[in-house]
Amino acid sequence: VQTRIRERFRLFGFREVLTPALEYSEVIEEHGLRDASYKLFDPDNQMLLLRPEMTTPIARLISQRLAGSPPPHKLSYVLPAYRRASVGRGQSAELYQAGVEVVGSPSPREDASTIALLVDVLQSLGLSVPSDFAVVLGQSAFYAGYLRHAAPDAAASVTAALAAKDLVTVDAIARDLPVDTAVGVRGIPRLVGPATDGSIIEEAGRFAVGEEARAALENLREILRHLEAHEALGAVILDLGLIGRHDYYTGAVYEAYASGLGFTIANGGRYDNLLKRFGKQMPATGFAIYLERLLSVLPEEVPPALLVLVGGDVEGIEAAAELRRLGVPVLHLSEDLSPGDAAEYARGVEAAWISYPATGGVKLATADPPGEFVFMDPETVARTVLS
Amino acid sequence: VSGLRVAVPKGAIFEDALSALERAGLPANVLRENGRRLVYQAGDTEFIVSRPSDVPVFVEYGAADVGIVGKDVLEEHRHNVVELKDLGTGRCRMILAAPESRAEEVRRAIRHAEVVRVATKFPDTARRYFERMGRQAEVIELHGSIELAPLVGLAECIVDLTATGTTLRENDLVELDEISTSTARLISNRGAYRLRHREVAALADAMHGSGETVG
Repeated sequence: VQTRIRERFRLFGFREVLTPALEYSEVIEEHGLRDASYKLFDPDNQMLLLRPEMTTPIARLISQRLAGSPPPHKLSYVLPAYRRASVGRGQSAELYQAGVEVVGSPSPREDASTIALLVDVLQSLGLSVPSDFAVVLGQSAFYAGYLRHAAPDAAASVTAALAAKDLVTVDAIARDLPVDTAVGVRGIPRLVGPATDGSIIEEAGRFAVGEEARAALENLREILRHLEAHEALGAVILDLGLIGRHDYYTGAVYEAYASGLGFTIANGGRYDNLLKRFGKQMPATGFAIYLERLLSVLPEEVPPALLVLVGGDVEGIEAAAELRRLGVPVLHLSEDLSPGDAAEYARGVEAAWISYPATGGVKLATADPPGEFVFMDPETVARTVLS
Repeated sequence: VSGLRVAVPKGAIFEDALSALERAGLPANVLRENGRRLVYQAGDTEFIVSRPSDVPVFVEYGAADVGIVGKDVLEEHRHNVVELKDLGTGRCRMILAAPESRAEEVRRAIRHAEVVRVATKFPDTARRYFERMGRQAEVIELHGSIELAPLVGLAECIVDLTATGTTLRENDLVELDEISTSTARLISNRGAYRLRHREVAALADAMHGSGETVG
């Protein structure tokens, strides 16, 4: 799966980067992420973190290393991040993330193209739209802009409630607001539906009051227009109440969900302020896929062809080399196992075939269920095993 | 409304939850038939029955699309679920209480920022309550009969839920403070809320409660 994801990233021109697993603790500012990090101390008693996510380390890398080259920087990574998981919640401490970042372009077209890449990756792994997954897309500046314009005093508390996904509290706050404001406060987070259904955006237009909200909606329209050109619009569900978990998202924000799995398999968005932390004002957008969660929803894979070749001294080595030359993956065991033990071993390593060297070829049998041994020359073995 | 898996809590709010679901047009009556089953199929709706505190777990992991649970449980465990609607039923209050004879003593201890010992089924709620006041407390987690703790000297006070106050009175406990109030909520899985928004929003709309409509 990692290989196939890397292939798609490369096909879209993204350059793969590696960053150290350890970061100085100052690099990560979000409290939730810092709390969830494993902490260590270096000899100078500086606190270090095992990186809890990849976006911030990449932002640091760009501000320090790529400052000289012209933007935009299109970078990708497939690396583990580390988080302290709470006991009993079925999460592991090491989570592999595969993602991309486009740094140095404020254009909504880059948001659209990264979303389209995410859709492309998920589809290339065998997931289909709309039955298997969807990308839920919001624009965090839209609701924030509406609130700052229409209900500035309530903005902070409404945003906090929405970040906690507590629509009941959003409603409760709305009840104390003037009627026409309340309609928007209550209504915007409930604008949810397929992006192909134009009525969601049209509805949102009613609430596009104030400079900020109007610009945010225009930005979202532009993203949708380009997603259509990318032929990815069918995979997108709009949710104007989606504002993102981290407080660093400044525009487009999205989460990918697989049907039947309650957690996001990927998330991303635009974070134009993150690089300020490293002394650079650089707009950026990108996503991360959670590989363990993704694996749990991928269709069951047929294990790749593998042949277990048993013993045979020097002839065994020659037979193995000959078969490998023909492209057959061969696991050669030096010890002379009985056919029964060989079949059991083969099942343990998910190999479909067992074989013993013989003059001019090998004796081949299926491992599960254990079959009759048949003599074959190397070419016939290759055809049989690889078919 | 169709094709959803609904998590329903056993216990105090079971009946209210069934009535609310029935009013919304779901065939929840099947849950009354036989008290022992855990999964019920009615039409294309599936119901699962679990302990109240487990309802948000099933919903968070996507094992159920929606569920009904008290706000007290959501406050305690902070599961990552969408809270859609206040159903207004199952009203109860989270309170701090102490034995009547020692109530003044406990009040003074808290005022003077002494560390008090508090027994509760809701350790996070209790801890956050004391932290908010800038006070420290030694929180002891119990799983039942919280009222017993101050009577036998295990704790000086308790943080517990009360609906009518009867249990408190029977054990000579008096309320020192109200921490929060709680009612039953309709919750949804984050994915189901988006991927199956039409069904989930229709259910939320059809469930009459004190909250506003979703849609």
